[in-house]
Amino acid sequence: MCFPSKFPFAPVSIILLCSLSHIVRRFSASELSLNEVVALVAPMAPSRSGSDACRGGTPEFPAGLRVLVVDDDATTLRIIEQMSIRCRYRVTTCTEATVALNLLRERKGCFDVVLSDVHMPDMDGYKLLEHVGLEMDLPVIMMSGDSTTSAVMKGIRHGACDYLIKPVREEELRNIWQHVVRKIWNENKEHDNSGSMEDSDWNKRGNDDTEYTSSVADAAEVVKGPKKRSSLKEEDIELESDDPATSKKPRVVWSVELHQQFVSAVNQLGLDKAVPKRILELMNVPGLTRENVASHLQKFRLYLKRLSGVAQQQNGMLNAVPGTIESKLSATGRFDIQALAAAGHVPPETLAALHAELLGCPASNIMSTMDQATLLQASIGLKHSHAEHAVAYGQPLVKRPNIGTDFLPSVLTANDVSSGYGAWPSSNNTMGSVRPNNSVERVGTQNNNILMDILDHQQRQQPQQKQQQHHQQQQQLRQQPLIPDQSCSINVQPSCLVVPSQSSDTPQAVNSSASVNQNCSFGRNSIIDYSLLSQKSNNSVSASQFPSRDTKAQGVLYGYTTPSTCSMSSINGNFQHLQNSTLTFGAARPFPSPLPMSDRQDPYGFKSGDSFDQVCLRNIGFIGKGICIPNRFVQNEIDSSVSDFSQMKVHVDSSGNTLKEEPNFINMQKGSRPMVERYQSCDHSSVFTE
Amino acid sequence: MEVDQMQRQYLDYTKPLFLEGFLDGQFLQLQQLQDENNPDFVAEVVSLFFEDSERLLNDLTFSLEQKSIDFKKIDAHVHQLKGSSSSIGAQRVKNCCIAFRNFCEEQNIDACLSCLQQVKQEYCHVKNKLETLIRLEQQIVAAGGSIPTMEFSF
Repeated sequence: MCFPSKFPFAPVSIILLCSLSHIVRRFSASELSLNEVVALVAPMAPSRSGSDACRGGTPEFPAGLRVLVVDDDATTLRIIEQMSIRCRYRVTTCTEATVALNLLRERKGCFDVVLSDVHMPDMDGYKLLEHVGLEMDLPVIMMSGDSTTSAVMKGIRHGACDYLIKPVREEELRNIWQHVVRKIWNENKEHDNSGSMEDSDWNKRGNDDTEYTSSVADAAEVVKGPKKRSSLKEEDIELESDDPATSKKPRVVWSVELHQQFVSAVNQLGLDKAVPKRILELMNVPGLTRENVASHLQKFRLYLKRLSGVAQQQNGMLNAVPGTIESKLSATGRFDIQALAAAGHVPPETLAALHAELLGCPASNIMSTMDQATLLQASIGLKHSHAEHAVAYGQPLVKRPNIGTDFLPSVLTANDVSSGYGAWPSSNNTMGSVRPNNSVERVGTQNNNILMDILDHQQRQQPQQKQQQHHQQQQQLRQQPLIPDQSCSINVQPSCLVVPSQSSDTPQAVNSSASVNQNCSFGRNSIIDYSLLSQKSNNSVSASQFPSRDTKAQGVLYGYTTPSTCSMSSINGNFQHLQNSTLTFGAARPFPSPLPMSDRQDPYGFKSGDSFDQVCLRNIGFIGKGICIPNRFVQNEIDSSVSDFSQMKVHVDSSGNTLKEEPNFINMQKGSRPMVERYQSCDHSSVFTE
Repeated sequence: MEVDQMQRQYLDYTKPLFLEGFLDGQFLQLQQLQDENNPDFVAEVVSLFFEDSERLLNDLTFSLEQKSIDFKKIDAHVHQLKGSSSSIGAQRVKNCCIAFRNFCEEQNIDACLSCLQQVKQEYCHVKNKLETLIRLEQQIVAAGGSIPTMEFSF
């Protein structure tokens, strides 16, 4: 047997790798004879950022990969160390997990990948894995002599990128770079999904000089994706502070205030005419770059689209896939923006008027939830808007005929929600959103014929998945007005602005805001809601807790239609609450994510593993009760991090019940992502980013 | 003795070790990792293995002598021994550890004790072989030769 010791990388693959400038830059030059690589890499050599002391010289990926190996067995450690050296990695070894963690913390940004043994005396390898995932978000590869499926599964569940069976062979070590690359690309892809690439490209080209040398940029041209994505990612994601893979760029936290400024600037200019440069000028915020604005604008547009675009989408377009939300979104920026801008300080009536204005429909009084729901349904039905939307509407409708009366007051508290949930007749499946096709019937327990019809209609039209997802996500009834633009004729009341009140204890507040009666399409409303919600969202609300960060999707306005019976005053009052919170897209997204749910109080009893249906149902239930989910949502929104954002997409579709898409859930659940972190940072951008 | 003689002697000694299952392919990997930058890599790793193993075996003996046996701890030790022996390529020791762990799961004290004996035996065997092997290698290197690569024809 002979053991080859040359690099197995073909020039092509190197080129691809080189496009990951942030990684590549860090690698030390190698004397390998891959001329192409050298040629590519050479120009990048000068692009080291001086600030990063850990960066090396010219990289030749994957040489120079900075590996941290943790294993209590000295023999194995030494062997892997030697293998890594053979692979030309920059390896650091550690026999104790605690020491390793400290090392990672102290030298953030100095490692690309962590290799850890599973069985260690001072700390379980899985624990270390979780910590690393949470704090540093590095790819972690587990190693163990235990090759049983359950052990490997456990590793996966805890978020390991890979699981190597001991004894580890050198060939296996040579492949670990793929996890670093994959992780970065996937993260970037998330951004991509959330929006079009035009802006990001545009941003990138224009302003990324600090991050990339021109040569790197050129190299990136070869593989377009990663570069754009990483740039976008850096800018927009409010993640843990250090991202070793990308050059550090101060992250912009789109706080509620900032977002409000942004929205008003956009409003002033008109969404169609809003360009980052002008927006930046209008906002006049020191330290904010045009890039930041541009990416935020992109997200904002997407968000608006989502809210209003549902109606325009064919049923077929709807699907639970996160991407669909985007597709669904129609460009209805103008009114959205206005609505949003106004949301913060507009009393319900004004908001309604705003909606009306935006939507072109006459403002109407707040209708009973049922009515509104009906309208929503109708509009949805008419529009064949995305099923998701319809679903969302349907849900509240179904719930209770008398929702109106107790609508506002019962905004929900987590308990309410759960009880509300129960109130839903068969919420779990009935809600249109939950189950795509059966909910109509069930939803209509209220004897709301119209509603039933609408729901039926919707159900038929809407993709089931979305609804389900939405339901699940929205533990609270969040009606999302989503969509239907043309609903003016229908008379659908705009969904209540489900704006989670700031105070966690006032779920009702959320409702009230939601109950903006707009005849306008829900989409519009949703926008407003969103903003309102965002204002509130901050976490204290237990409800908001609920949606947990995972529910990024929550950003979608909750277009919650409150029954007209809701007392205006309460609505107003609630609305006020909402207004307090600044508009933040991010904030408005409290869609409960399956994962977080388990973490947070789950009034509805959602477990992270809950099926979407259940989620949907719950939401529905709430609506019936007139519970305003918003608090929860708001909370989530604010907290939601980028990852949530992805969920948001899903939600939007489901008309308020933003359900996280299944995949999101899975991602979330894997626990490797510190959703928590995201939340902390009230990352509005996360709303948009996916 | 001349270098090529030494080399032949080395091969004659080493090959059966592989064929008899004392050592496996992992050991070959170790040899591969040795180069001019790390001329004593194999010796280094082997001595690490010896240290770890002896410590573990002592711990195991001690644990099994207790009145109330902590099987979890024993299992942890055996797992560790299994890991280090597999990383160095001490195949027989590793196999013994696997059996040992099974008995630990069953909490079969007698079987565990006999397994421990077996592991100790196998460890002593492989220790001797490895020490001889390394000595032979060092002789070759000292004589200016290079350690021949083991080649197995399949």
